[in-house]
Amino acid sequence: MLGVGSTGPVATDAPVGSRQPSSRSVAAADERDAWAVLAGVRGLGPVGFGALLSRYGSGLAILREATTPDGPARLAGTPLGDVDTGEARRDRGVAHAVATAIAEAAQNAGATLERIRRLGLVIVTIEDADYPARLAAIEMPPHVLYVLGDPASMHARSAVAIVGTRRATDAGRAIAARIAADLVALGASVVSGLAVGIDGAAHAAAVRAHGTTVAVIGSGHGIVHPRAHSRLAASIVEAGGAIVSELGPDVEPSRGTFPRRNRIISGLADATVVVEAPARSGALITASWALEQGRECFLVPGALGAPASAGCLSFLREFPHGARIVAGIPQLIDDLGLADHLAEPGVPSEAAATLSDVGEAPGRIGRELVLGRATVDELVAATGWPVASVLAALTLLERRGLAVGVHGRFRPAGDLVFADPAKLRQRPRRRP
Amino acid sequence: MLAIVPSATLHGLDGRLVRVEVDVAPGLPGFTIVGLADTALQEARERVRGALRNAGFQYPPRRITVNLAPADLRKGGASLDLAMALGILLGSEQVRAGPGRTAFIGELSLGGEVRSVPGVLPMVAVLARRGLRRVVVAAAAVDEARLVEGMDVSGVETLGEAVDQIRAGRRRRDVASPRRIELFDARAKGSDVSRGSAREAPDGRPTPDLSEVRGQLEARRGLEIALAGGHGLLLIGPPGSGKTLLARTIPGLLPPLDDAAALTVTVVASAAGEGPLSELRRRPPFRSPHHTVSYAAMVGGGPHLSPGEITLADQGVLFLDELPEFARDVLEALRQPMEDGRVAIARAGRATTFPARFQLVAAMNPCPCGFAGTSERPCACPPRVPERYQRRVSGPLRDRLDLWIAMPRVAPLAIVGGSDPEGSAVVGPRIAAARKVATGRPPGTLNARLTGRTLRAACNLTRAVQHRVVHLAELERASGRGTERILRVARTIADLAGDGTVREDHLDEAAWYRPADIRLAAAEAG
Repeated sequence: MLGVGSTGPVATDAPVGSRQPSSRSVAAADERDAWAVLAGVRGLGPVGFGALLSRYGSGLAILREATTPDGPARLAGTPLGDVDTGEARRDRGVAHAVATAIAEAAQNAGATLERIRRLGLVIVTIEDADYPARLAAIEMPPHVLYVLGDPASMHARSAVAIVGTRRATDAGRAIAARIAADLVALGASVVSGLAVGIDGAAHAAAVRAHGTTVAVIGSGHGIVHPRAHSRLAASIVEAGGAIVSELGPDVEPSRGTFPRRNRIISGLADATVVVEAPARSGALITASWALEQGRECFLVPGALGAPASAGCLSFLREFPHGARIVAGIPQLIDDLGLADHLAEPGVPSEAAATLSDVGEAPGRIGRELVLGRATVDELVAATGWPVASVLAALTLLERRGLAVGVHGRFRPAGDLVFADPAKLRQRPRRRP
Repeated sequence: MLAIVPSATLHGLDGRLVRVEVDVAPGLPGFTIVGLADTALQEARERVRGALRNAGFQYPPRRITVNLAPADLRKGGASLDLAMALGILLGSEQVRAGPGRTAFIGELSLGGEVRSVPGVLPMVAVLARRGLRRVVVAAAAVDEARLVEGMDVSGVETLGEAVDQIRAGRRRRDVASPRRIELFDARAKGSDVSRGSAREAPDGRPTPDLSEVRGQLEARRGLEIALAGGHGLLLIGPPGSGKTLLARTIPGLLPPLDDAAALTVTVVASAAGEGPLSELRRRPPFRSPHHTVSYAAMVGGGPHLSPGEITLADQGVLFLDELPEFARDVLEALRQPMEDGRVAIARAGRATTFPARFQLVAAMNPCPCGFAGTSERPCACPPRVPERYQRRVSGPLRDRLDLWIAMPRVAPLAIVGGSDPEGSAVVGPRIAAARKVATGRPPGTLNARLTGRTLRAACNLTRAVQHRVVHLAELERASGRGTERILRVARTIADLAGDGTVREDHLDEAAWYRPADIRLAAAEAG
């Protein structure tokens, strides 16, 4: 562990988040700790970090400098080099506020490392062999990733980002879920941002289909955001996926952190799929990053005038050469070059098994939900049952986590999210 | 000379016997009222003076002192006008026969006409309790006064007729006499109209039939259960989904009140000035105060300790449309009445208790913009705002709402097409039958009032069914209150089905009606 005194940081204990450093790694254990502390400094982005590293040679040296009396002043003089990349500062150097923050971080290094340890985070630096190659290839990759879960999940043979609006429609959620389920069945991993709406539907479906999924969050790991997804986050890690952030454990989410985070979502993936995005949606920022990073970018078109898809349509119009359209899930898989891996996805049959497992009446109602009946009135009309029986059966589906609904509109959940309506429609209908 | 005329005033919902003592003595002409009379009563001097003159009597140019006994009782209103005027006539010996044990209740117009006052029923009732057997009231209020058994009631339209009553010493003419004094006729009508508009019950709108509610099967079912068990009901749906229409069908679905309940309701209506009433009110009241209602108007109070909306809804339904828009303190104030079935009001020097056994029915939009959950238009609220909006239904109120019903917008086809759904004439008797079953079982209350031991006894669950309760409680996050909610509602569902014991499918359905925020959280997590 790192102790920081007047003489600077000194090594004490085993390093935090130590993983087997590869032979190629030049970051020794203490140096890794130093990076973990520095990356968590508010306001110090990849550009500043890079400039300081090239001036001082190592993270330890930066921390040591920060703890000397005039250290912060000297740190503040560091020129930023090429500022065209985005972090334009008028003084063209590391800001004084940031330098002071580095000094503070150096003082509290022990506590920060203890916090990281307690949260169970793994530190992956850009110099590590297991830093995801896809991410290393982008402009301004984060120097440090704080990872909860298995960092190997970022190395899937192919990875696809599925993003979209937080205010998703039921249809949008269903599409996101089915794309995610089909992709993980093909061995791809699903990258998204853990937000409610499309992101959550994609993650949840990937987990349900026993696949790996990576969630890139826009805050530190110490801050659960959104709270509604704390259980989903746990299930992602449990299923062998990871929650990833470039921000220190206690950095609050803010207006700026999410767009910055989006470059990591697209950077971790070979391609980005936007399912639903209203005008000026954050998902479109991710799509722009994907194009900028030379990755493929797909958008699910919506009906003209549908607000939830307006952003997708305008993006397709704006980037006719980069942005591609999702013409169907098999077509998407084909376009992604994954069609060769197409085995028997097997997912819909699993959904059918689930339906026959819950009992006759709930099974029938579950099937109707998959077929798109959303309200109690519609379910009663479809089954011809008394309303009391429909409600009782729906309650049991809710209890099993196979249906969720708000404001009187219900949709399949759990294993039913990626059930294929076309296959269910062929099944003979039974009466309870 | 001294004259004593019995009369009565209103104190909250109770009448109080007041003896009007009038002394007409030599001295400087004047008119003094003593005995804790409030402003309206002090103004009685002018009404009495005008009425005496215009009815053809003499206003004695002498020193008039009116004492209202008992002296320590605060008195208000205009019910003593008639007694004071008669006291002056007796005291100045324009009328020589005494009133004996006949009480007089009525307000006077300047023309000498006798008008009815709020609360005739409770006032006459107290006279009867205090041993008086004869009362004279305004002709319009005779039917109301006659609701009190054993009272000899006469109606008068003018001060002159009242004097005739004294002179005769007994009832001389019957009540609803068509004879009116032409001179006052026009003015009398005018005054009746103005009174009518000012005191008209707020729910003067007609009651729609349940068959007018198309689609919304979940809500129709929920309403039936809520009314059968007396359960608190919350309807959540976008504007135009029919929440208010559904709520307005309630008066046509509830069974008529029994004698005791009808008497309470009638007394409240009388005291609130909804009279004159002609018969006992057997229809359960339905009150729908606007969301800008003040604390005092909701709970009761004011200078005359008037009953509030919750008392006016006693034995019936209090409907709160746009629930989150009500002032927080107004909603908080519902807590104690909902627990106790009555509300205690204390003002400086006075305190009273009003009944408030109402069933709460509320409605709200799913979110501030109102479009969450509609298929045709997405909600324009920022994320989490709908959730917070629903959380505004907090604490005590949340626990008292046993059924939460979502009302999505109905497809146009359901409104124009299909067969007619069941009407009030079909559903009403089912509700009445279930209520009878519930009240016929110990402890004799509607199911909404069951808790703890009484609830468990009423449900009488077998072991297998108990297991189902535990299974379903997960949906409510296993809170004790959530479990009780399921059991209470399941009991009512079983009553509607005619089942003595609560079965598993009753519980399944009961768990359906849980609070919307629980469902919202589950949907976001999944």
